[in-house]
Amino acid sequence: MSAESNKKRLGLVQSIERWAASLPDSVALRFEGEAITYKELNLRANQVANGLQGLGVEKGDRVAIMLPNIPEFVYVLVGTLKLGAVTVPFNTLYKGGEILHILKDSGARVLIALTNFAPMINETRPELPALKHVILTGERNLLFAHPESTAFIQLVLPGDFIKDVDGAYEKMGHILLKIMRELGVKEAWYKHRGSIRVRGEKIATFVISEVEGIALINAVVFLGPLDTRDFLRVVWVPPEIRDKVVEPLTSVQQETGKRPLWDQVKETVVAAMEKGFQVEIKEGSMVRDELFGYEKLRSLAYKPR
Amino acid sequence: MKWKIFSRKRRKEHWRLIFKPDGDVADVMALPGAVVEGHIAGRYLLASSVTPGTVIIQGVGQKGILAGVDVAVDHKAASEHDVDVAYQPRGGRASLRPAETINFEEMMLKASEEFVSVSTTPKDLACILYTSGTTGRPKGVKLTIKNFLCEQQSAEQALDVTPKDKIIGVLPFFHVFGLSNVLHLGLVHGASIVLVPQYSPGILLKIIMESRPTLMIAIPTMFVHMLTLLKRKKVRLPDSIRLSVSGAAPLPKEMIDAFEQCSGCRVLEGYGLTETVAACCLNPPDGVCKAGSIGVPLPGFEMRIVDTDGKELPLGEVGEIAVRGEGVTAGYYKLPQDTEEAFRDGWFFTGDIGYQDQDGYFFVTDRKKEIIIKGGLNISPREVEDVLLRHPVVKEAAVIGKRKGEREEIVAFVTTRGAVSAKELISHCKQSLSNFKVPDAICFMETLPMSVTGKVLKKELTDDYRDERRIEQKETGLGSVD
Repeated sequence: MSAESNKKRLGLVQSIERWAASLPDSVALRFEGEAITYKELNLRANQVANGLQGLGVEKGDRVAIMLPNIPEFVYVLVGTLKLGAVTVPFNTLYKGGEILHILKDSGARVLIALTNFAPMINETRPELPALKHVILTGERNLLFAHPESTAFIQLVLPGDFIKDVDGAYEKMGHILLKIMRELGVKEAWYKHRGSIRVRGEKIATFVISEVEGIALINAVVFLGPLDTRDFLRVVWVPPEIRDKVVEPLTSVQQETGKRPLWDQVKETVVAAMEKGFQVEIKEGSMVRDELFGYEKLRSLAYKPR
Repeated sequence: MKWKIFSRKRRKEHWRLIFKPDGDVADVMALPGAVVEGHIAGRYLLASSVTPGTVIIQGVGQKGILAGVDVAVDHKAASEHDVDVAYQPRGGRASLRPAETINFEEMMLKASEEFVSVSTTPKDLACILYTSGTTGRPKGVKLTIKNFLCEQQSAEQALDVTPKDKIIGVLPFFHVFGLSNVLHLGLVHGASIVLVPQYSPGILLKIIMESRPTLMIAIPTMFVHMLTLLKRKKVRLPDSIRLSVSGAAPLPKEMIDAFEQCSGCRVLEGYGLTETVAACCLNPPDGVCKAGSIGVPLPGFEMRIVDTDGKELPLGEVGEIAVRGEGVTAGYYKLPQDTEEAFRDGWFFTGDIGYQDQDGYFFVTDRKKEIIIKGGLNISPREVEDVLLRHPVVKEAAVIGKRKGEREEIVAFVTTRGAVSAKELISHCKQSLSNFKVPDAICFMETLPMSVTGKVLKKELTDDYRDERRIEQKETGLGSVD
């Protein structure tokens, strides 16, 4: 067989391994000005295969992939096939019940997704005993902030506050639920590790993250209706799928008829936190080290690109 | 629950509140990010000024987006719509790892670059792809290593892909069309793929112009968008493109002609299903392309038109399209009943209605499940849609049958370019359709629900459609797990 063609029946894995050997510098993928050669693709796929094997993935296991067309999709697909495992790619626009159905039905052991899907996936985990690992990649988080609608509640705590992530979700979820009820949303309910909802619609949501022994709880509460149209023009989303990008939402205003004032929000949140965590909370300001960090982060955030 | 506070301290700890209701979107990241940094720095500097817990409550004074660095943002649109755009720094302490997850990059750093592939056999499963049918929940289609092998060989014979090719990778790889006819096809044959992670007409055109691909495999919506852009910008596509393939939904003949004229490259229409690992039928690149036809079966696939009993029909007669070949799925995952229903004597029944002409070319006319039965007569939604689309104001049309008591009514959903009355559209239909085919109702829509491959999701237009994205409360009570 010549190096110029692949007329013989070779599968994806063997083909890539062969091109990596015969035409190592030939470009397999082009992505944002970067050229990834067949040799490099093969090495990355090997790393994925080793990484997944280290997590206990074996031949025949299902590996779910919820990624857009980025190099990582290809690395994961090829790496999974190298292990003899079964790939389960699915639509990155899927939400809630759809994701749950696919992960449950396929019995996926591992899911690889973009970081921004973490809260959605987190919500499904208690119902997916087969799903042992969630691997996240990419920097595609997207957060909408609107003066009329969004209130952000964030907690920074030393990591040893949270020894048990499950318990922390349970606690924070119920504190948020209490806040919503105090604000007059009587119908609100909380699903473990999920969002605070009214009927099927989301009214508040949060995620717990960790870095170097510090825990950060990020929550957003919808005080008024969120009009996402302007946002979806800025991060271009085809009109026909616009309503699929955002989960169905509601807000305190839609449920109670009026949007709470900031002072009321502050008082309610502080009272709920004080009670929930058995602490006293006093208004304060940032200290010197923090102010340096704050200025640095802001300048990075607004760096022209 | 193991909260330190419960076990160790008796006196209440003091936490700090930072309250900023009118900040900007960068603050949403920078405030907690700075506090986290303060904690970490404080640990090294042994600073005592850091409070154990900080609660931040904030809002914004202006609309804003906080985007990860990989999100493509249209800055012009942002300033037009007064949207403040801030970015989350890559990695670092401001973009934290959600609890109980693994960071892909960290996993890769620790993993060796050497791996000996596990041996497999052709009948081993390579992939389970979920298709959302017209009814019910998505079904998992089992695709084996052999299915992919066969498909890549078939597609290669038709398109002659070599390492010299550069293919535009805009179709999502999670869908069979992109996964098979772009990713597999390209990499099996040593070509390079230009990845387009986020589709917009502008992004796609820019990438095509810069990367000068040789093959463009896309869906009708994208061809239509490209055509509009090319016309507006008065440019042609690069002459590097030797061929374009369109599939997943029909591309009107006028569009193909206009695109070929405008772009200078041929467009081949094809047909495929998740169950056939994408393309199983294609207009031949070196032969006659027939308008409105999906072409002839690819090598390795057999296709025929059958009646309701599964008997082959003569050329020209309309029936269900059946496919056979090594590229055809072994069945649905954990659904033996559905698998049995879809296969007869080794033939897979596609659920698509069509016919084969005297030259062996296939034509798709409808989806079987979408056929409307009114007063015992079969009505093709496609036929009604085509008539509606001929009206100059109608942009898109989707026709479905709605149950009303004992009978089915024809309901047309349309999007328009300008104002038009339902009455006018109905009289327009009456001019070219028999009376029983004329819609009973017209619904004007802002957009039609569509899949990623540009197919109208008709099930979302029905009354009993349940939004699967919603999470409803289970009946077992608040906060319960199951």
